[in-house]
Amino acid sequence: MSPAVVVLLLIAGLSEALGRLLPVIARRSGTSRSVVAGLLLTGAVVEGTVFALWPLTAWSLAQLVQPAPPPDVVVPAWTPGQLAPLVLAAVLAFPLLGPLLHLLLLVAVGAGLAGPLGAATGLGWWAAAGCVAVAGLGLALAVEAVRRMVGTIGATGAAEPQP
Amino acid sequence: MSELLFLLMAGGVGPVLLAEALLARYEVLAYTAGWRAPTTELPAGMPYALGAAADRPPDAYLVYLDGIGKRRFRDSRDGGRLVKALIAGAPELRVLGQVLPYSPLADPLADRPVWAWLRRHVGLLLFLHNVMQIFVAADRRYRPLYNRAVGTQIATQLRLAGYRPGSGIPVVLLSYSGGAQVATGAVDELHAQLRSPLLLITLGGFHNGANDLTHALHLHLLTSANDRIERVGTWIFPQRWRLFRRSGWNRARRAGRVTVHRLDPATHVGPRSYISPEAQLPDGRSHLDRTADTVISLVRAGRSATAATEDEQHQGH
Repeated sequence: MSPAVVVLLLIAGLSEALGRLLPVIARRSGTSRSVVAGLLLTGAVVEGTVFALWPLTAWSLAQLVQPAPPPDVVVPAWTPGQLAPLVLAAVLAFPLLGPLLHLLLLVAVGAGLAGPLGAATGLGWWAAAGCVAVAGLGLALAVEAVRRMVGTIGATGAAEPQP
Repeated sequence: MSELLFLLMAGGVGPVLLAEALLARYEVLAYTAGWRAPTTELPAGMPYALGAAADRPPDAYLVYLDGIGKRRFRDSRDGGRLVKALIAGAPELRVLGQVLPYSPLADPLADRPVWAWLRRHVGLLLFLHNVMQIFVAADRRYRPLYNRAVGTQIATQLRLAGYRPGSGIPVVLLSYSGGAQVATGAVDELHAQLRSPLLLITLGGFHNGANDLTHALHLHLLTSANDRIERVGTWIFPQRWRLFRRSGWNRARRAGRVTVHRLDPATHVGPRSYISPEAQLPDGRSHLDRTADTVISLVRAGRSATAATEDEQHQGH
């Protein structure tokens, strides 16, 4: 993984965290700026990791579909060009159209991953796109479950009376 | 030429729109998180209300919520004309024009250093900012907070203008264009804070129809067949479609709380707008005169209906 990809992953993660966090902060009163900064940094690492895992997860799924890939194949990984659009992930917080624009962004980036995956595994484009989509959905569900769990724990902790 | 236009859009306007849209919710965020307290004081020498004197209760308080041109406490040019016409035609009203519908923190856009510079160089961005605030107010994630912020701003200004909660004096929210999104959103907060009888009048109203109007006595919709901007609002927001029967707007319509009044052939903006003092009608009145007359007659009719209801309640007890 090149340094450019790592930097882009962190920026994309920060952007995604910003897009997800803004509506949440807007619903909570009394959140200090330092807590917001801490949540943003944690979110940047988590979301960046999820983005990093996306091509690898799609590759693993493709291997389940196509157990014998061609020999000497290179596992597809992010290139800066494929990853760059994700720095706009904060568009999720955009009023009214945000969720739709975010979905379009992820679909476009996912479509960009399907070509190299299809070429590497010998799968057709549609089958590769299916693997990318299932991988993306699975990762999104997993990280959403973690977000909700953290949110529930945070809410429970906040509701407990102080000693 | 078309390629140049595309490049300008993609490279210039696009990022500006994106940045503006992402920054637009900062105010509501800062309000909710408690990072900044809303402004309550007006500039020195500016009264909290105009019209009827403060030494005795007026027949009604009228709060004017301006369109996207609103950028300071003082009225915009068109809004100021309408407010003056209303005060001249109905001296029994106390009129408030200082509410900033597009600022949850009641912070005038024209007074912020960066925006003051932008106003001199790219004035269009101020309109864009206020349009974005309407979309923030319409977004289901931010709407309850935005409504609470501006509802509180209106309630505070009404109190400072002499309104006594529970007095029974009607409050009229007269909104123009995007002000309708804020007016419909402020209903619940005003009901909770002031318990006032609430009458809504929208003039070319642009709103998403999601806000609950249960606590409003009535909504008078002033419109025209030539008002394209209002029509766009009825197309782009699904909750304005009849299909969404449970939306706040459709429930109010089914309950008979919405009455449409046509002000043809007025347009939304421009020299033939609802607030134009130049455009003439066949009866010799200007569009501005007719709009002011219509608003005043609706307020007086609403006042009479409220008084009759109060009398019935007193007799019942």
